[in-house]
Amino acid sequence: MTVQRFIFLLFLFGAMLAVGCRNTPDAARLTTLVTDDLGRSVEIPRTVERVVTLAPNLTEIVFTAGAGHKLAGATAVDNYPPAVEALPRFSVLPIDFEAIVALKPDLVLATDQVNTLNDAATFDALGLPVYFFSYNSLEGMLQSVRTAGTLLGTSARAAIAADSLDAAIAALRRLTDSLETRPTTLFLIGDETLYAFGQGNYIHDVIALAGGESITVEFETRAPVLNDEYVLTRKPEVIVGAFGEDYDPAKLLALHPTWDIVPAIRNGRVYGLNPDHFLRPTPRLVEGAWRMAERLHPALFQASEEPVEP
Amino acid sequence: MKKLILLIVGLLLLLIVSMGVAVSVGEEVALGEVYRVLWHRLSFGQGAVPDATADRIVWLLRMPRVLLALLVGGGLSIIGAAMQTLVRNPLAEPYILGISSGASAGASLFYLGFLPPLLSKALSMPLAAFLGGLVAITIVYLVARSGSRLSVARLLLAGVAMAALMASITSFVTFSSPDPDKLRAVLFWLLGSLHNATWTILPLPALVTLFGLLVMLGLARPLDAMLMGDEPAHNLGVPVEATKRLLIVLAALVTGALVATSGAIGFVGLIVPHAVRTVVGVTHRRLLPACFLAGALFLLWADLAARALLPSEQLPVGIITALCGVPFFLVLLRRSEYGFG
Repeated sequence: MTVQRFIFLLFLFGAMLAVGCRNTPDAARLTTLVTDDLGRSVEIPRTVERVVTLAPNLTEIVFTAGAGHKLAGATAVDNYPPAVEALPRFSVLPIDFEAIVALKPDLVLATDQVNTLNDAATFDALGLPVYFFSYNSLEGMLQSVRTAGTLLGTSARAAIAADSLDAAIAALRRLTDSLETRPTTLFLIGDETLYAFGQGNYIHDVIALAGGESITVEFETRAPVLNDEYVLTRKPEVIVGAFGEDYDPAKLLALHPTWDIVPAIRNGRVYGLNPDHFLRPTPRLVEGAWRMAERLHPALFQASEEPVEP
Repeated sequence: MKKLILLIVGLLLLLIVSMGVAVSVGEEVALGEVYRVLWHRLSFGQGAVPDATADRIVWLLRMPRVLLALLVGGGLSIIGAAMQTLVRNPLAEPYILGISSGASAGASLFYLGFLPPLLSKALSMPLAAFLGGLVAITIVYLVARSGSRLSVARLLLAGVAMAALMASITSFVTFSSPDPDKLRAVLFWLLGSLHNATWTILPLPALVTLFGLLVMLGLARPLDAMLMGDEPAHNLGVPVEATKRLLIVLAALVTGALVATSGAIGFVGLIVPHAVRTVVGVTHRRLLPACFLAGALFLLWADLAARALLPSEQLPVGIITALCGVPFFLVLLRRSEYGFG
């Protein structure tokens, strides 16, 4: 080996070290160690100024927590709240790492519903901390609002928002707890292909809160595609679909002609609701639960319009 | 001959028993209720009126699915047998030669609105599938042929490549379609499933498959002659080239009609003719009917397995047939000296 070559390699090694160093946290910058929902230790800046989320439900949670002004960008699929329209967009399926780095965030929020630990490893290599949210219940959604507030330095506003959501949940629960009939309910995501929610999903909480009894609450697969027989034998009294408010129930029967004897269809109790209220586990789940309750128990809401004793 | 009759009767009996099992498996319907439904329906309204739910499940959901399994299994098997005679090699099969994938691509192009509906919707999709299958097999056949010889290695490689190309076309058109629920369609077209079965979609594949079976039975003697090679067949007075073209069109026609209803279900046409040949020999007059029944039986059981593995859900049956078929294919590939004796 020539001397020149040795020196060259030495330089190369030094350059690599320098590149590696650039990503290590600045000693002057204050950081704090937190544990995320997956039990990972994440070192985040004590005051986060710029944050990005990797899923639309987290964007909504950040806004609810009162930290919307700290979002450095929004995902390509974000559509709520309207303030996201002003933000620069990046793709998340697959994740556009370059675009996200260009936004210079100091924290990335992820959810185990869509994102993987491989994505987190790539962010680690880029020197960006990733905090994972993981929740499968209404309670967990509320807790996530509080957590987002803590991470982003808006915990007081987040607590107020979470408390008022909690109050709206409690109010609905008071209405539906006393009900004598709780219709068996099937929640569908697709009308032609029968995508549904299996066990361990927040949707069953929402249905229970709305005064219904979800028939897929014990379904072993978490994201099943049901067959027609299943619906025929379980005989749901109500079918609620994430098909949009203007859904024509006749379409469901046209797609599944054998369902003419299913109670929900026979009694005209098929309802389309806004998919964004249910398919994204966000604070709007609470609004979704109220909308669903109006469909499941119309009598309850007709009565409540008249002056009654509080 | 006696052996053949015994085999056919045995297969028929097995088929009837299997159909009974197949309409009883699924969501819980009491066995007595299944019998009541069958008796009520088959005797045109005699006997006790069955429970409405059981009636719908057994007669409107399971029965057409069972019949479609029989048609698709039987149809793909006789086409497999014909293709194997055409190329004089036991490794040929509609899926491996790219016919199924071509038909899938044609059908999905139509399904997603890339092709105009020429006739009624019910006829246009099988027509598109037929044309797709015909394009695929024609290209594969032309690539594999040099002069009057057919290179088996080239045939298989061209078939695999064509299947991949056609699957890409199917995936591309599906993923570029805007409707998110259509993404599910790509799985249907590529893996094959019988869950779309209803009474109304049965007549077309039934007619086309039976037509294919009859034409091939009519061709039984020329097909036997072609097993000996083009030259001897020609000397026996068989119009070899015309017969080959007819077989190719027939294969694309039957495969197209079946794929349009059930997607690309693979390897049925590989396993079944091979197994049947070891019992009844290579004569087409015996081989084809036995193949049809055995293929029907095979796919019925494969679909039963798919339904039993994930109850209340939908597992594409093509996964099961590929799981059985690929090891089989590899074993056949290894036994290079395999002949039609």
